[in-house]
Amino acid sequence: MNLNTLAWRNLWRHKRRTLITASSIAFGVLLAVTFTGAGDYFYTRMIDAGANMGMGHITLAAPDYNRAPSSKKYLKQVTELKQKIIQLNEVKGVLARIHGQAMFASARKSVGGMFMAIDPQQENTNNNLFLKAMIAGGMSTDDSKKGIVLGIDLARKLKLDVGKKVVYTTTDKTGEIVSAIARVSGLFQTGAIEIDGALAILPLKTAQQILGYKPDQVSVLAVTLYDQRNSYLLRDKLQKMAEFKNVDVLNWQQTQPDLAGMIAVDKSSNHVSQLLIAMLVSAGILNTMLMSVLERKREFGVMMALGMSPRNLFLLVMLESFWLALLGLIIGVIMTAPWYLFMTNTGIDLSAAYGEGFSFGGVLLDPVFKIRLFKESIVAILIGLFGLALLAGAYPAWRAGRVAPVESLKAL
Amino acid sequence: MESIVELKNISKIYQQGEVEVRAINDVSLSVNKGDFAVLCGPSGSGKTSILNLIGGLDEPTLGNVWLEGVNLANQTNAQLAEIRKNRIGFVFQAYNLIPVMTAYENAAFVLDLQGVKEKVRHERVMQTLAEVGLKGLEHRRPDEMSGGQQQRVAIARAIVTRPAIVLADEPTANVDSHTAESLLDLMQNLNQQHGITFLFSTHDQHVIDRAKRIIQVQDGKIASDECRV
Repeated sequence: MNLNTLAWRNLWRHKRRTLITASSIAFGVLLAVTFTGAGDYFYTRMIDAGANMGMGHITLAAPDYNRAPSSKKYLKQVTELKQKIIQLNEVKGVLARIHGQAMFASARKSVGGMFMAIDPQQENTNNNLFLKAMIAGGMSTDDSKKGIVLGIDLARKLKLDVGKKVVYTTTDKTGEIVSAIARVSGLFQTGAIEIDGALAILPLKTAQQILGYKPDQVSVLAVTLYDQRNSYLLRDKLQKMAEFKNVDVLNWQQTQPDLAGMIAVDKSSNHVSQLLIAMLVSAGILNTMLMSVLERKREFGVMMALGMSPRNLFLLVMLESFWLALLGLIIGVIMTAPWYLFMTNTGIDLSAAYGEGFSFGGVLLDPVFKIRLFKESIVAILIGLFGLALLAGAYPAWRAGRVAPVESLKAL
Repeated sequence: MESIVELKNISKIYQQGEVEVRAINDVSLSVNKGDFAVLCGPSGSGKTSILNLIGGLDEPTLGNVWLEGVNLANQTNAQLAEIRKNRIGFVFQAYNLIPVMTAYENAAFVLDLQGVKEKVRHERVMQTLAEVGLKGLEHRRPDEMSGGQQQRVAIARAIVTRPAIVLADEPTANVDSHTAESLLDLMQNLNQQHGITFLFSTHDQHVIDRAKRIIQVQDGKIASDECRV
């Protein structure tokens, strides 16, 4: 009988104990998938939402714009730059945008806020969170109509509704104060007061005219990626390209440091949770294997007396840990799969507890709690738990290999 | 006669707290090929300690043990395991079969460790199980067999490798007298027909009566060593 078969049979000497330990590994898989999957899903959602809210996963801007934004700092020849960027495999889209601060005034009130100018032909509900959050009217694609979309709370402050006029005042590219009149074409509601109460969306051409920009001049190029995890890779790639020598190329971690910081903190606490799960799983395996070794001390002594080497005894117990871990992982995968499918496709709607929209790090979040695992996270969970199980089995195996036959044979 | 085991001025001292217990006291002994010998004496006299030293399971505090000319004191743990695997058969009082293995697998265990090929292993195990009277019970697990049957499996496991010596520690202690007699018949036959050397540790009169050589151990010393012709 080979060691593998013997190890497998040994595992079933105490069926209940083996199943309980395997279940604890399986539960570890479930928890690890949930924690890691929630992280993978929420971080991606937050980062993508943040990207859609203005700056993209990668932002190209005039030098120093990010540190001290100003209408005086703008990108030129953006059509050429866009063409270069869109050719890269990682890039999903490139959006030209103008950001600025403005004073909005109605007949009754004035309110300070900010505006974002977008190209209505290029942006839609898929790549723009504000268009997705439209609750009345819409974004006019006809520049001659001079439409403006307001956040619902900004409109309330100004006591405006769709169809009403608003005057906004800002500074142009020379630093001169300029004003324009617009008619409210739509209202959006994200649920985040700091956004709904301060932001207005303008058509790009309108903003270019007011600020004195030429048609291929904008504040930023917001680059969205298929996978946000490529932000460093693409940033570095763009920085090395000659065409972007005089342009600041920043990733979302640089343009949204608050979000990056919060994710980093959240990830750390997530890692602590995962570490606790790992410790619980390891303790279960260690306990089971140690008990199993201690109660078979005499048997190990007999095996050594019959000529089994300490190395083979170590290997035998390690193989038992191996099979136990594999069994636990298989049960874990079977147990976790329906949960994962449900949480990926449907999720749990938390809007009753948190409302329709809530923000994290200034980024709007979907109130439906879902999970999604990156491939590397799946591999990390399986290998991590498997490795831990083997590691936890190593000490009992070492103990087994060090059994003194003569002492063991005296054991009851 | 050709000597298989040589013990020269062996002492084994255990430390129990601050007290030194001299389990074996300057024992010299040789076991010859074909012996059917017993170490007998009261409990605690040092019989099992001598068996453990011969089997390389324990080290003497003083003196040397030679097995087929090899000084066990010079061997590493791995080398001792090799010697036990290839040259020594063990039969224990409590059978000590591996509970998750069948009779066949228990008997084949040491051959497995030796890496004997499947075909040869199968032939030898089946032949040995037949010799010990277990034909047809190959697939039974220890908990499906009587004490006597289990001890037969243990004997089969001990002799299947054709060892230089079989060390049997109280092999009849856990069985009734009828079973003890049949086990002794078996071992005696193996000794007479195959020339397998047996060294028992026992205080069972059945065993002592069958022995060709009786070594009386008392207070860690050889009190007498008597050969019967």
